Amino acid sequence: MRHIWRELGFLLRQRASVWAVILLAGLSILSVGLGLQEVAKQKAAIGEVIALQEKDTAAIKVFATEAGDAAYYRFHPTWDPPAPLAFAALGQRDIAPSILRIRALALEGQIHENEAQNPELSLPGRFDLAFVLIYLAPLVLIVLFYDLWSGEREAGRLTSLQALPKARTRVWFARIVARFALVSGVLILALWGGAILSGAGLGETLAFTALIVTLLGFWTLIAAMIAQGRASSPTNAAVLATIWFVITLIVPAGSNLVINATTPIPNGAAIMRENREAVHDAWDLDRNATLQRFYKLYPEFATSAPMQRPFEWKWYYAFQHLGDQQVEPLSRVYRAGIAERDARAGLVALALPPIAIQRGFHQIARTDMAAQAAYQERIRTYHTQLRTYYYPFLFTDKPFTPADFDATPGFQPR
Amino acid sequence: MRRANLIAGAELALMVRSRVALIGVIALLLLSTIAAATSHAHMAQELASRLANQTQTDALFEAQPARHPHRMVHYGSYVYRPIGTLAGFDPGVDPFSGTTLYLEGHRQNSATMSAVRENSSLMRFGQLTPAFVLQTLAPLLLVFLGFSMITRERTRGSLKLLLSSGVTAQDLIIGKGLALGSVGLVALAPAWLALILMAIAMPSEAGAAAMIGLGYGLYLLIWVVGIVAASAFARSGQAALLILIGIWCFVAIIAPRGAAELANRLQPLESRAATDLMIQAELRQLGDSHNPDDPFFAAFKARTLAQYGVTRVEDLPFNFRGAVSAEGEALTSRLFDKYFSELAATQRAQSQIVAYVSILSPAIAVRRVSMAGAGTDLETHLRFLQQSEAHRFAMVQYLNGLHRDKLSLADDSARSKNPTAEQRTRIAADNWAKVPNFMFKPTRAAERFSAAIAPILTLAVWLAAMVALVAWSGRALEGRAL
Repeated sequence: MRHIWRELGFLLRQRASVWAVILLAGLSILSVGLGLQEVAKQKAAIGEVIALQEKDTAAIKVFATEAGDAAYYRFHPTWDPPAPLAFAALGQRDIAPSILRIRALALEGQIHENEAQNPELSLPGRFDLAFVLIYLAPLVLIVLFYDLWSGEREAGRLTSLQALPKARTRVWFARIVARFALVSGVLILALWGGAILSGAGLGETLAFTALIVTLLGFWTLIAAMIAQGRASSPTNAAVLATIWFVITLIVPAGSNLVINATTPIPNGAAIMRENREAVHDAWDLDRNATLQRFYKLYPEFATSAPMQRPFEWKWYYAFQHLGDQQVEPLSRVYRAGIAERDARAGLVALALPPIAIQRGFHQIARTDMAAQAAYQERIRTYHTQLRTYYYPFLFTDKPFTPADFDATPGFQPR
Repeated sequence: MRRANLIAGAELALMVRSRVALIGVIALLLLSTIAAATSHAHMAQELASRLANQTQTDALFEAQPARHPHRMVHYGSYVYRPIGTLAGFDPGVDPFSGTTLYLEGHRQNSATMSAVRENSSLMRFGQLTPAFVLQTLAPLLLVFLGFSMITRERTRGSLKLLLSSGVTAQDLIIGKGLALGSVGLVALAPAWLALILMAIAMPSEAGAAAMIGLGYGLYLLIWVVGIVAASAFARSGQAALLILIGIWCFVAIIAPRGAAELANRLQPLESRAATDLMIQAELRQLGDSHNPDDPFFAAFKARTLAQYGVTRVEDLPFNFRGAVSAEGEALTSRLFDKYFSELAATQRAQSQIVAYVSILSPAIAVRRVSMAGAGTDLETHLRFLQQSEAHRFAMVQYLNGLHRDKLSLADDSARSKNPTAEQRTRIAADNWAKVPNFMFKPTRAAERFSAAIAPILTLAVWLAAMVALVAWSGRALEGRAL
């Protein structure tokens, strides 16, 4: 321990190291601040929509006295609140909406809606703590490690250092640990500061911390291994930067190409269109036949009177659901395909710890593809809840009262 | 100049002999070629799929049976954003923005089906495209090959020897610059070749391709000159390398993300859901079609009746319900346009902030040249949204016109209850083919040129600054060597 403190002292007297660590600390704090702000913004946006929706709903209540009208005009907000650690790894939250308003019509035409984000800003990616950890922290470690041995050799001190008793533990081990501890300390403090401000749980914070330690441990190992070699300092630096570059930029980009080529998914736009065809074709089909198809799925309403008039709400909602049913198999394949692509990315991650850890960050922060998919599943479940709430009013003579309007189930976020 | 050429030749010979340098260059060429080929193939496939979707959608629309025109308003249509030939070189924002837009009456939907939502999260690490290789990879290779070009001469003591044997610092710098510049040219070669091939395939894009080629040429030249300057200034190769990697990291990795965050903070966007609700609320204030006593629609009725000198809507020479639909659509569409121009203005302001940051990072400047030239920038996407909305409005109003002119008010009012009246409200299917198809008009060559002027100038200023720096380093070199 004494040796580690001594080496830490030495380290803090080197100008380049101090600057690198100060820079890293500054960028970490900046990224945590930006992340917290972004999460606050997302929460405020959710609150704003819920409040605006209430006013909208009040206005609809005035004229939507029939269940059919209420189900048609009334949108219901669904939302995906950011998890406490989302600030540290914003993940996919910028490219998919975290608020989606839906109604009891066919869902397939609603669920793919996008956020009104500026794509030019999504292109480079977010400036969050995960970015600092995956991209910048390894570079700082490289700066601290690349000349650990070669620098001493080039200064002519290496032989005498090696000749010290217990040089391995007293000098080299202490030097490695001091560097690793300094960088880890800065990043973990930044995480904890943010975690306290955002009220994150102890368990998830510790899990995130463990990932940070693993990530930096991985890079420390690589850096120490290369630095121990016989090459000159500049060669070490170049080799380390190349390794970093290949792992963090080239392999992920290349793997993504391979994954997409080997995991085709159905055309999403075609699914949406097919849903529309299925829904709109109903207007030209035998109405009672449509209802019979619906009753196969919902036999409890089969006793409902046959249609008397060209337009009845119950038939309208029946064919909306049948439209969703028709594309359900394809839609499942589509979703499974996207999940499979992400699962294959997980396989790539097995070979490359930094990618696995990046995925771990997003998993803990609940901002990964799986979290997006889970939100979509919650929307689907809620949509079922919503339309089946309206069915008894549409298919039986149960009256739809203002109290029933108010009792319409609301969305329950995670 | 002859001496500079000699120095360049010696430096290049050294690089060829050093296996590391050779491997680096070959690896870059390989990556560059793979990127150009796969990205081109992918975007071509993407274009084909969108065109096929468009053809199929238009065919479906025309094949709809005889119907009530308002059914067609709700049936709607889809438009798919096409991409230009050069998108294969730089897909830009295309994978990050929705490509499919559903157009229907009363509603303005969002562009959906973006590649980024269909890809694994690996996509956010970056995409292997020629643009990525040139913006991010190539400079780092140049750094590795060039950082010690002059420091090496100094630490070995050969610098003094060279300068005392009649070689000027200028010769040395030009020679080293030529050597590194040739590496830069080699790195550029696959990309330039790809651009030339694309320009041959689509001659109308030749100007834009040349502009992109020029942008990347300037960009890599900035790096070449800057690296030589750093190597001349630095006390040791090590110092040069660390500083250059730091600068590369800032320019290519930190600044683009930082710029995006800055733009997000300074020009925040409303969420789409909130905007939709605000439009609804404003619409209700202006005219509520669900309120029989609504002043807006009551005034419209009074105006219409007065215009035709009748007292009852039944006596109008057309179906008043169709006229109300058209009036309502015009009202909502005005609001859509108003909110869309606010959104577009905010997004353009955000991009302008990113553009300002290119003063700190030439990578942002070259990305702007590249995306503008390839027609894959924000502007193209906004144009797509705007033209789609115009198309939506024209389509809906055409159908509302049919609703007004081809149906009788009596049938139209009775259609929900009376099956024979319902049959009479269906108009012939040949009306649907008369709706014009969507034709996306992308940014014209001249517009793309003017969009690229500012970032090209930014790159030119960067280059001038680097040249000044290298000239200064030459003088410092002579001063220190003596």
